Amino acid sequence: MIRASFALAASALALAACSHPQFPAAEQYGANPRLPQPQLYLFPPMGLPKVVGWGADQTPKVPAGFTIEAVARNLHGPRNILPLANGDILVVESGGPGVEPVLRPKDIVFQWTIGRVHGKTKPGNRVLLLRDTDGDGVADAQSVLIPKLKSPFGIELIGNQLYVAATDAIWRYPFTVGATSVGPGTILTALPGGPIDHHWTKDIVASPDGTKLYAGVGSNSNIVENGFEAEHGRAAIWEVRTDDGAKRLYATGLRNPNGLSFYPGSNTLFTVVNERDELGNNLVPDYLTSVRDGGFYGWPYSYYGGHVDARVRPHDPKLVARAISPDYALGPHVAALGLAFASGGQFPARYRGGAFVAEHGSWDRTVLNGYQVAFVPFANGKPTGKPEPFVTGFVADGKARGRPVSVAFAPDGSLLIADDTGDAVWRVRAASSGAPQPATVR
Amino acid sequence: MPNPGFRPRASLFGSPIHAMLVHFPIACFVGALFSDLAYVSAPHPQWANFSEWLLAFGELSGVIAALFGAIDLFGSPRGSRPGIAYLHFLGAATVLVLGLFNNLVHARDGWSGVAGTGLLLSVLTVLALLVTGLLGHRLAFVHQERARP
Repeated sequence: MIRASFALAASALALAACSHPQFPAAEQYGANPRLPQPQLYLFPPMGLPKVVGWGADQTPKVPAGFTIEAVARNLHGPRNILPLANGDILVVESGGPGVEPVLRPKDIVFQWTIGRVHGKTKPGNRVLLLRDTDGDGVADAQSVLIPKLKSPFGIELIGNQLYVAATDAIWRYPFTVGATSVGPGTILTALPGGPIDHHWTKDIVASPDGTKLYAGVGSNSNIVENGFEAEHGRAAIWEVRTDDGAKRLYATGLRNPNGLSFYPGSNTLFTVVNERDELGNNLVPDYLTSVRDGGFYGWPYSYYGGHVDARVRPHDPKLVARAISPDYALGPHVAALGLAFASGGQFPARYRGGAFVAEHGSWDRTVLNGYQVAFVPFANGKPTGKPEPFVTGFVADGKARGRPVSVAFAPDGSLLIADDTGDAVWRVRAASSGAPQPATVR
Repeated sequence: MPNPGFRPRASLFGSPIHAMLVHFPIACFVGALFSDLAYVSAPHPQWANFSEWLLAFGELSGVIAALFGAIDLFGSPRGSRPGIAYLHFLGAATVLVLGLFNNLVHARDGWSGVAGTGLLLSVLTVLALLVTGLLGHRLAFVHQERARP
């Protein structure tokens, strides 16, 4: 019997070793990605870059016909940006709340691993106002607009009300564009925060008519390994009325939705979603999708419609039967967190109506994926074709200089990027826009 | 069968340290089997977490107990080592190898960490423990024989 158990151990080893057929990368994108069979591991694939940061004269790379410059460097974990009509830029500096308990031996390893790939600076957990007073494209004045927030992420301005989503509540502050301070804040509504607060970023966007906010709330686990009780109101997008803070679940089954944006000139809400881990290097692809009122997108029971995740018990075949397959796969484990649509402005015509996606970058994969801002072409309001690398160079020689988190178009049509690991805000201009060529660009 | 040179080398006030420590891996690995069974009958993550900690401490305390066992075995003159001491050693190694794999399998999230391979490994670990324990008891008996005037 002892010999038999040795044989079993040996076969388990062999099983773990023979798993990875090369999977065609080109087929893992778009409306109908080819999904490989799920794998189970003794050691799930992992790949993490060493974080080195940006040198003083280094910038990410942009395609020919564009320039990139640092609006600000040496920030403290900039994760989100809100460009204002007068050219000011609000920057949300933040880091995780750090309240995730060690519930399993694995959590010790996991928290150490993920902690390694974030920036070395202590996150600010505040909102900064950056102002460029001399018009050279570089912010030369900085003020702390809102200090001491609890892991803020989402930020939105509706008229003279500034909304900031901390990890456990949406706050509202009276604010006028041009001012460098806000009035006293009040809580519009609470959001699911701690305990655990695994996916802690709460992104918000205003409805086109300004009467509602949509708030993304990520799951409290990979695939409910912390129990279903921990997932109430999570892995969902909430609709919140701005007049009285009343809210309802708008869409569910979205594991970690961020980058909430309305398609320009429409009432169609889009989001990018981080899908589940530990099923393989190429499973499950993160995605970009339009969000339907009342829609269920699979998590935790299934992915891409009816692909059931065997790790989740009990099953729920009824819910799986109505799980919506997302519009567009962005690629496995790219960690898409930011989304912005080009609605006009200075970018060439072929980019108009397309989406720019900030991909924070993979950890759950042997070969790094993401670590770029990708461009997704749209036709008739729907994503189409293959995503193209647009802003790159965040990883060089296997080392991370930065990681893009969110993207937003400034009123002048330039694209702003928040880089939390590189502690910078970048601005991409079309070279033909006649914009100033700042001295920082070489 | 007299084994004049075969006696516990690592001892504390005359009690063998190995014998004092083996309770921990035994209790942990047996406990992990019960929490696995609880999980597959009603998959609340609490039981899977129970199993993971029990397996982790079972492995850790098992390695420490095995180190003292190895000192007892290899610290004795070669000629004095009874054959079952090697079998007991092999059994303990089997338990620790199974336990190591089981720790990795249980680190998977949700149902797949326990049901199937995980539970099977837990059963095999406990079966291997039973055999190893019986052999260990025989060894203790040999020690006793040696100690008898």
